Amino acid sequence: MLPKSTGKWTEAEARHLLNRAGFGGSPQEIATFHGLGREKAVDLLLHPTEPEDAFRLPDWCNREQALADARMRREQFMDAQKSRSGMTASEAEAQRRKAFQQFQQDNRRNSVEAQGWWFNRILKTSAPLREKMTLFWHDHFASSIQKVKQPVLMMEQNRLFREHAFGSFKELTQSIVRDPAMMLYLDTQRSSKAMPNENFAREVMELFTLGEGNYTEQDVKEAARAFTGFQLNRFNGNVSQNAAAWDSGEKMIFGKSGAYNGRDVVNLIFQKDACARFMVGKFWEFFAYESPLESAMEDLAKTFRDADYEVKPVLREIFLSREFYGEKAMSTQIKCPVQYLVQMLKELEMDSAPMGFPIMGQTQLGQVLFMPPNVAGWDWGKAWINTNTLLTRYNLAGALTKGTMAGSMRGRDGMERMGRLRELAGRIAKGPDFAKIAAEPERNDTEALVDGLIGRFFCVPIPEKARQSFIAYADSKKGVSFTDAELGELCHLMMSTPYYQLC
Amino acid sequence: MKTRRDFMRSAVLGASATWTLPGFIDRTFAELGEQSRGSATQFATGKDDTILVVLQLAGGNDGLNTLVPYGDDDYHRARPTIGKNAKDLIRIGDGLGLNSSMPFLGSLFKEGGLGIVQGVGYPNPNRSHFVSTSIWETADINNRSNTGWLGRYFDNACEGVDPTVGISFNKSTPESFGALRNPGVSLSSPELYRWIHSGGQKAQAEEFFSELNRPEDEAPVDGGSIDMPAGGKVGGVVGESNLHFLERVALDAQVSSKKILEIAAKHRTTVQYDGTPIARNLNLVSRMIAGGMATRVYYVSHGGFDTHTGQVNSHDRLLGQLDSALKSFFTDLKKQGNDKRVVLMTFSEFGRRVKENASAGTDHGKASCLFVAGGGVKGGLYGSYPSLTDLTEGDLKHTVDFRSVYADLLGAWLKAPNIGKILGGDFRGIGMV
Repeated sequence: MLPKSTGKWTEAEARHLLNRAGFGGSPQEIATFHGLGREKAVDLLLHPTEPEDAFRLPDWCNREQALADARMRREQFMDAQKSRSGMTASEAEAQRRKAFQQFQQDNRRNSVEAQGWWFNRILKTSAPLREKMTLFWHDHFASSIQKVKQPVLMMEQNRLFREHAFGSFKELTQSIVRDPAMMLYLDTQRSSKAMPNENFAREVMELFTLGEGNYTEQDVKEAARAFTGFQLNRFNGNVSQNAAAWDSGEKMIFGKSGAYNGRDVVNLIFQKDACARFMVGKFWEFFAYESPLESAMEDLAKTFRDADYEVKPVLREIFLSREFYGEKAMSTQIKCPVQYLVQMLKELEMDSAPMGFPIMGQTQLGQVLFMPPNVAGWDWGKAWINTNTLLTRYNLAGALTKGTMAGSMRGRDGMERMGRLRELAGRIAKGPDFAKIAAEPERNDTEALVDGLIGRFFCVPIPEKARQSFIAYADSKKGVSFTDAELGELCHLMMSTPYYQLC
Repeated sequence: MKTRRDFMRSAVLGASATWTLPGFIDRTFAELGEQSRGSATQFATGKDDTILVVLQLAGGNDGLNTLVPYGDDDYHRARPTIGKNAKDLIRIGDGLGLNSSMPFLGSLFKEGGLGIVQGVGYPNPNRSHFVSTSIWETADINNRSNTGWLGRYFDNACEGVDPTVGISFNKSTPESFGALRNPGVSLSSPELYRWIHSGGQKAQAEEFFSELNRPEDEAPVDGGSIDMPAGGKVGGVVGESNLHFLERVALDAQVSSKKILEIAAKHRTTVQYDGTPIARNLNLVSRMIAGGMATRVYYVSHGGFDTHTGQVNSHDRLLGQLDSALKSFFTDLKKQGNDKRVVLMTFSEFGRRVKENASAGTDHGKASCLFVAGGGVKGGLYGSYPSLTDLTEGDLKHTVDFRSVYADLLGAWLKAPNIGKILGGDFRGIGMV
C-alpha cells in the first residue's frame, strides 16, 4: 500500500483531484467538492450516481437504426450492381464513385456528430472520472475513426470503455479482442489460419498489456495463430468465432504449450507479473507524474494483482496517497488539449461550447477525439507544446473570452482559417457571462478582482511579479469603466501565460 | 529590437553548462560577452549561406512506381495491375523512368539539378509507420534516441540562441528537430503566429503579454524539479520541469513571432503556387528565405502515401502535387537569386512491397528512393537499383544507408563539424553535393 495522505485536506488538493480525476470545475464546484472531505470526494468519483446511458446517443448509434442503415446500404449496393449491367464501364464507375462519396459523406457527418457528442458529455457529466478513464482507455487501446471508417463502431467501442471505465482491466482486454472497431483497426478480421496477422498479437503484448521486453518474437507469432478465427460481419457489426478458420494446433507461448485460442492467450498474459506492473505505471503517469518511483509501483502492482485486475482499488489508492498530493504531482502536468478546452469552459462557467469550437480547438492543438495518430495513442506531456500550439492555445483563449479574432487579420495564407475563426467569433459574440465571473461592484477593488481570477484560473502558484502585472493591467483599465470587454481582456491575458497550461 | 532578455538569453543559452541546472536562467551571467552575439548564424558559415529544406513524404512512398524499373520483367510480373509501362514514363536511364506525373523533376534531372538516390533504407527495417518515421527522424536505427538528427545539428553546430535555427511548417514539432537546447520553431501560418489581441489599447496589452511570457529571472532555482524527466522524443533539457519548459517555449514563440511576421510581410512572390498544402508551405519557405531569415533548415510535409488500395490514381496525384509545388518553389528561388543557396531533400519512412496486393495497392515495404534537388546538387543517379528477385520478406534490400545521405547534407552542404557525433557513427557522404 502506498502511504496515505494524512495531512489536512485543502481546497488546493480538492482542485488538484478534480483536475486530474476529472476536467476541473468552477470555483463553486471546487468548493462543494472540497466540502465532502477527502475520502468522500474520492468515493464520489469512483461511485458516480449518473447512469452510463444518461446521455442520449445520436439516432444513428441506435442498434436497430444502425442495422436498418446497413441493410439499406446493402440493398442500394445490390441494386446498383444490377443496374450497372447495362452501363458502359465509365458510367458504372461514375455511379460507384457517387455511391461511395455519399457513404463517405454520411460517415464524415456522423464522425463529427460523435466527436461533438463525446466532448459535450465530458463537459457536462457529473461522473468526470468515468469520462477521464474512458479517455485513458481510448488512448491505451487506440483506434482511429480514419481507418475504422464506421462511426457507429467507434461509438460502440466508446461505450465499452465507459462500461469498463474502472472495472476489470482483464475483462476489458478480453472484450477488446473482439471489438469490431479494434478488429478493423488492427486487421484482425483479415487474419486467418493460412495467413495469421501478427499486428494485433504484437500490439496486445507491446502496447496493451506487457510492454516491450516482456515477450519474445516467438510469443507474438504463436499468439497470432491463436487469435485467428474471429470474423466480423461488416453489415451488422457482429463478431463470431469460426472454428474452421481458427488454427487449432499446439502453440508455445511464454514457455507453455497448448491448443490456445484468443481467450487463452489473454489469460496467459494476465498470469505474468509484468502486466500489472506495466499498467500501474501507466495509470500513475496519467494521473500523477512521469517517471514514477519503482518501489511505489511495486506496491500498486500488488494491489492490482490482489484485486484480480479491478481498476477501482488502484485508483482509490492513488487518489488517497500522500505522493499524489506531493510537490512532484501538484500543478505539474501539462494539460492535454481536451483537458485544456474543457477546463477552460468550466472555469469560464460556460455550460456549452460555441459551435465548432471544440473540434477546431482539438484539431489545432493536436488531440482530436476518436482520431489518435496511431496505435500507440497520443504523445503526452511536453509533446503537446511547441511554439505553434502554445500560441494557438493563447489565441483560442482569446476567441473564447472576447472573440478576439474578428477583423484583425489580413494575408492570403491566414485567410481561410481566419474566415472560419471569424465566423466562430461571430457565433460566440456573447462569450462568457462575465457577471457570474465577477459582479460589477467587485470590479472596483482590482486587487481582490485579480486574486479572485487567479483563484479561478490557476492551480499553479503564480509568481508575485505576474500577479502584480495583472493588477497593474486591471488598474490601467479601471479609470475608464470595467466593462465585460475589459474583464474579457484581463481573462485572456491571464490565460496567455505558461502557468495556465499546467494543472 | 534587441531586448535585455534577448541578450541574457543568448548569453545564457550559449553556455552549455547552465543547461544542467534546473532553472531557466542562470543568474550568474558568467558567460556574458564572447558568446552573446546571439543571432542564429552557425559559426561555420554566415547569414547568406546554404539552406536545407527537408520534405517528408508521409505514409511510405512507393519507390518502385516513383522511379520505375520498366525494363525489368520481374517488375511487370509483380505488378500486373499497377505496373507502369515505358510509354507512361519519363525515361531517365537504362530501363529506368520517372513517373510521368513529375515533368518538372524530369527536366531538372536532365539539366543536372536533381540527384536520385536509389534503394535507400537502413538495416533491419521496421514496417511500422511510426517506428520507421522515428528512425529516419532520429537517425537512430535502434529507435532509442530522444533527439533528432536536425536537432543534434542545431545543438552541435549552431551558435547563439535564436529559436529560428530551424522552422517547421507542421503543427507539431517533427521528431528530427528534437534537441537538447533549441528545437527550432513550428508554425502553420505566419499571420496567425503571434499573440492576437485586437481589443482596445492593443500596445498596452501586448506589453503586459510580453512581460508575462518571459522567464522570471528572479525566480528561485527550485531543486525539487530536477528529477522531472526530459520530454521523450521532443528532446528537452534533462531535469527541466514542465513549467520551465513552457517558459522556454513561450519565449521562443515570442522572439520568433515578431521576426517571422515581419519577414512574411516583406516578400510577395510573383510565381504562381497551387493551393495544395505542400505548395502553400513551400511558398512560406521561399518567403522566409527571400526575407533574409537566418534559418538554415526548413521542414515541410506532404502526406497521403499510405496506398494500400487503388494506388495508381492517388499515388500519381500525390507525385503530381509534389512536382508542381517544387516547380513553383525553384522558379521562385531563381527569381530571388537564392536558387544556389538551397538544397531540398525528400524522404519517406519506407517503400512499398514489391508485389501489388489484392486491392490494386501495395503494403508496407522497405527500401525506396529519394530526391535531392537544388543548385548545389550534382545531379544523377546514386546507389544501385535494388534487385527485384533478391528480396527480404518480399521487400527490396537497401543499397544505400539513409545516414550517408544525411552525412552529405550535414557535411558538404551545411558544413557542420562533428558529423560523427550528430549521426552517431562514421558515415561517409555519397558525393551528391
